[in-house]
Amino acid sequence: MADWGQHEQEAARAIAGASTTGELEDVRVRFLGRKSELALALREVRDRESGMLLNGIRQRLEAALGEREASLAGEELDRRLREEVIDVTLPGEELPIGHLHPITQVRRAVEDAFLGLGWEVRDDREVEFVEYNFDKLAFAPTHSARSPRDTFFFDETRVLRTETSPSQIHIMEEKPPPIYMVSIGRVYRRDAITATRYPIFHQFEGLAVDKGLTLADLKGTLLHVMRALYGPERRVRFRTHFFPFTEPSIEPDVSCGICGGAGCRTCKFSGWIEMGGAGMVDPQVFENVGLDPEEWGGFAFGCGLERTAQLRHDIPDIRALWEGDLRVLRQF
Amino acid sequence: MRVPVSWLREYVDVEMPLDELATRLSVASAEVEGIERRGVADDGGNLGLFRVGRVVEAIKHPNADRLQLTKVDLGEGEPRSIVCGAWNFGVGATVGVALPGAVLPNGLTLERRKVRDEISDGMILAEDEVGLGSDHSGIMVLPETEPGTPLGDVIPLVDEVLLVEATGNRPDLQSISGIAREVAALYDLPPKQFLNRTSSRTMLQPPAGHVRIDIEDYEGCPRYIGRRFEGVAIGPSPVWLRARLNAAGMRPISNVVDVTNYVMLALGSPLHAFDATTLHEDRIVVRRARPGEKIRTLDGTDRELAADDLLIADADRAIALAGIMGGEETEIGEETATVLLEAANFDPFTIFRSSERHRLRSEASSRWEKGVDPHAALAAADMATGLILDLAGGEWTADTDAHDKLPERAAIAYRPERADAVIGVATEPKEQYALLERLGFEHKKSDVIVPTWRARDVTREIDVVEEIARFRLEDVPFTLPARREMIGLLTREQQLRRRVEDTLVGLGFAETYTPSLAPDDDTTWKLPEPISVELTALRTSIVPSLVEAARRNVDAGARSIALFEIARVYLKGGDLPDEHIHVAGVTQGGFLHVKGVVETIYAALKAEPSFERVEDALLHPGKSARTQAGIVGELHPRLLEGEWGAFELDLGELFALSSEPVVYEDFVTYPAIRQDLAFSVPEQVAAGDLVAAAREAAGSELREIRVFDVYRGEQVGDGRKSVALALAYQAPDRTLSEEDATRLRDRITAELGRRFGAELRT
Repeated sequence: MADWGQHEQEAARAIAGASTTGELEDVRVRFLGRKSELALALREVRDRESGMLLNGIRQRLEAALGEREASLAGEELDRRLREEVIDVTLPGEELPIGHLHPITQVRRAVEDAFLGLGWEVRDDREVEFVEYNFDKLAFAPTHSARSPRDTFFFDETRVLRTETSPSQIHIMEEKPPPIYMVSIGRVYRRDAITATRYPIFHQFEGLAVDKGLTLADLKGTLLHVMRALYGPERRVRFRTHFFPFTEPSIEPDVSCGICGGAGCRTCKFSGWIEMGGAGMVDPQVFENVGLDPEEWGGFAFGCGLERTAQLRHDIPDIRALWEGDLRVLRQF
Repeated sequence: MRVPVSWLREYVDVEMPLDELATRLSVASAEVEGIERRGVADDGGNLGLFRVGRVVEAIKHPNADRLQLTKVDLGEGEPRSIVCGAWNFGVGATVGVALPGAVLPNGLTLERRKVRDEISDGMILAEDEVGLGSDHSGIMVLPETEPGTPLGDVIPLVDEVLLVEATGNRPDLQSISGIAREVAALYDLPPKQFLNRTSSRTMLQPPAGHVRIDIEDYEGCPRYIGRRFEGVAIGPSPVWLRARLNAAGMRPISNVVDVTNYVMLALGSPLHAFDATTLHEDRIVVRRARPGEKIRTLDGTDRELAADDLLIADADRAIALAGIMGGEETEIGEETATVLLEAANFDPFTIFRSSERHRLRSEASSRWEKGVDPHAALAAADMATGLILDLAGGEWTADTDAHDKLPERAAIAYRPERADAVIGVATEPKEQYALLERLGFEHKKSDVIVPTWRARDVTREIDVVEEIARFRLEDVPFTLPARREMIGLLTREQQLRRRVEDTLVGLGFAETYTPSLAPDDDTTWKLPEPISVELTALRTSIVPSLVEAARRNVDAGARSIALFEIARVYLKGGDLPDEHIHVAGVTQGGFLHVKGVVETIYAALKAEPSFERVEDALLHPGKSARTQAGIVGELHPRLLEGEWGAFELDLGELFALSSEPVVYEDFVTYPAIRQDLAFSVPEQVAAGDLVAAAREAAGSELREIRVFDVYRGEQVGDGRKSVALALAYQAPDRTLSEEDATRLRDRITAELGRRFGAELRT
């Protein structure tokens, strides 16, 4: 073979012209195989010059072959994968996913809203002394909540707490102000089970004790919390009310999210939804825990978690929250 | 309280739109829960079709024995012919008539029609037909009025009722006049004189006679006014009074009784009337009950009285449970001619306690227990006196007002700047005093003087502040407390609780809430008066409630059931129960599945679990284990059909085991040597014991050990099993050699051989 340059060109053309890895393999066998002209010639080489020439050709061809092979293999893989089309609308593998109860979701939303304001979170006992559930909270002896018709008594001194408010007394007895806390937990009232009432429910109860607190601080705090729970568009108003442990007492209303305040069935056509109770800490309560009401001021409030969950998710029947029915729970 | 607006107007000029009034009252005074519209529809001229008529002729219907054929003058010249089914009236009676085309409250449209061949050109009305009440025993006979007068001018054909829910601290809002006083203050209107409608005898001359009244207990009864009336005729009340009682939600009974209820609703001070001739020795004694004393109250119930029940008695027996309900023996009846009217004042707590004890609440007791102004008794007695004389006739023959020293109006030292500091928005002192004066307070130097009707709820400076705040609620701005010394942070327990919740959610569990009260299961914390058998005692574990929930889900056809709950349980404790927070779960699947769940909870908390066999009433006796924080096992099949796992762990115990924060260990620099070993052991040897013994034998260089297979069969022989272990050896400071691995393996093999007769299988 005289013209190895031509031979190399011919081989290079064949490599470039192979259109499948199979054809390429044929080209490899033909130009670089054990019995190829190049291999045979290499075996016969005796002088250094020819050896360098032929090895150079072989290396270049092998490189070109490798490149071409990678490119053809890539094209063939693409072609094959394109044939492996599946129905991507088929359902995925069923992996376990559980559900947090809506009350827990509300609880966390409440916790987070108050943590953001710098408040601490508490969870207190549910069986209480009458002293903590009523007396120290300045309930009058004739307050209807003191009746066994409204409240679960174990005996004259012990009750299932009727609100989370005993937490106010506990924390004020435990540490000096300033206090900013929210207590969350179960409370009990002697109500028959209906669509709107359940004898066991949850409340969150806030207490702030500091110097110079006003009704305006209460209003601003509740606005923050209501917006955290119901969305940034909500408005808050106050109505006068009465609670034994606050004075002045108010009930906060939040603007109805269903109708935006225009009036609908959910808000009983008032545009406002009752959220619970609130007010400035009654001086008597401060005195009951040994704080000077001239020195310290405070505000407190309480709301129901079930009610919040019902409003957030438009759940008409409170019993749905207590029956453990997966058809309900799996929606959340 | 139901407040008919037509009645309210008697005491204050209600000219503002009712919706606005309702909102104003709700914000500043007492919640208005709704506005009820009553009576005849007031559109399309409907009201004009209701007129006053005078019966000019009344004969029996020629073709029907039970019907009357009447001619009624409606001021139109020619009287109309009307057929009527009632017989309680005759010629000359003034009646209400609806003309053809009128729409009645029940939706019926009247037509001119023939009744048994006679024309009936309208309808003579009974109370219930115009929505004034439920009475259909006869038609309404009205006071004499010019025929043709719109009926709405004579009786409240159209009315609106405000449904006002006053709070417990405002007994002064438990009456129509009290609400009127509040409306006047809110809108700065002059209040009207309260007594104007009720009696023609505005100047009552008290008689010389006295009623003998002995108050033995001024604490329970600070005041008792007794008035005797003789020659009284008991009968039905006039339509206007019946209509008002009905609109206010009370049932009319008879004139004297209706007057007591009417005055209670009007002025807020409850009254009672006795048949005076039934009183022994003609006297009233107010005292506490004697041992063994009994009374039969007006509801027909015999009641055993307790020593601190306050009674109205005569010479020798109880005649009323004071402030709550009268006795049957002294009740006003149709024959009663002598009436003893009681206008008293009772101690709230005394009435509350008796009302509680006897489980008896009445319109009266619900007012007394909130506290009624003792000064209101006299106004109530006067209003009732005028009405009784007007409506039942007779003569007022005796009057006694027995009382101790009546409370004076309290003076409260008041700093207007205090209101500004609490409310967060400034109100000029002059304006504050003006607002207070509208509410009936007086301003004297640095004091404010409290009106008698607010004596109970306004006793301190802060209570006066609230009066100002009520007017300013809409002006209060939104601010946040100045933030000092406030650090919002969940406690470790609160953070870990969230992690447990999230872990279980990740494992496919649905969180549920079930009642913490359960059927009584011999637990310590039992309610003496539960509302149902299902909700009797505080639970000591959560699993039974979850089993119930799981069963309901099975019945509902649910699949892949896995439920968990985090809640308190209530153990015996001391004066109060020992409350622990538990996490419990119930899931479909066997022991190893639920154990895997528990192990995952431990792992999520960076805690190391251990398990040993245990027997628990709820669980399969052979497939249940105790772990540090609680129990795990298969549910006993008698509880739920199929294979179910359950666990219940004490969160406090779990969190104590958590080794957070994690301390870093270098498992990267020096690689581990992995080894699989299988041991043949007698059947009764627990895998957990093998693992524990291996750890003990190998020491800290055995980093990982895990059971990955248990095999039984011919090759291991009867009574034995093969337990396959995957091990990893590793040291923090050097690469272990094959020799090290062999040394460790030999130590493990020797120890397991010695302790359990284990043989290494090759």
